[in-house]
Amino acid sequence: MIVVPLLLLTVALAAFMFRVLRGPSIPDRVVALDGVLSVVVSGIIVAAARADSGITLSTVLVVSLVGFVGTVALGRFVERRGG
Amino acid sequence: MGIVASIFMITGATLTMIGGIGVIRFRDLMSRVHAAAKAPTLGLMLVAVGAAIEIGTFDAAVALVLVVVLQLLTSPVATHVLARASYGQVDMALDGEDDLAAFLAARTESGSSDPDHDPDHDPDAPGAP
Repeated sequence: MIVVPLLLLTVALAAFMFRVLRGPSIPDRVVALDGVLSVVVSGIIVAAARADSGITLSTVLVVSLVGFVGTVALGRFVERRGG
Repeated sequence: MGIVASIFMITGATLTMIGGIGVIRFRDLMSRVHAAAKAPTLGLMLVAVGAAIEIGTFDAAVALVLVVVLQLLTSPVATHVLARASYGQVDMALDGEDDLAAFLAARTESGSSDPDHDPDHDPDAPGAP
């Protein structure tokens, strides 16, 4: 049963990666990268549930904070350099 | 694996997948922001609820609540910063009047010449640290 959410998350990851690769503008790629980070966070949580232990859940905090800082930094970059 | 946890996790993963499909299918940046910001957040919340039910320990539940609160706080901020930064720099398929352009023009006429100028936080003002 745990395979089903992992498959769905794989489809979501493929969709977001398609948009990261195709663009066409930098903000499009950044938005899609934010989605990729969301998928990674969800995937780690599903993997923790599969292993039936919460020992990996602190990595999720790090990943989500890095995603936030990265998105804000790229937003500043877009504001200065243009899309 | 319990039935309730499975339902929560499958629903959350489906919402994330719907967000991904929206990012592929929508045509302009603001629509894609719409799809990429909100659907995965709700999906993450549902997946976290399912994982908390499945794992069942207090420590895991605390960590998952922290993750969800952090995501709820940071995701709208990051998306808003990005959308605000890319306004005027990316082609947007607006289906009507551009209200923000009218607002910015009105503010430029009435106030200072620079729309980004904020007199309370002027780094060149005398007395600034």
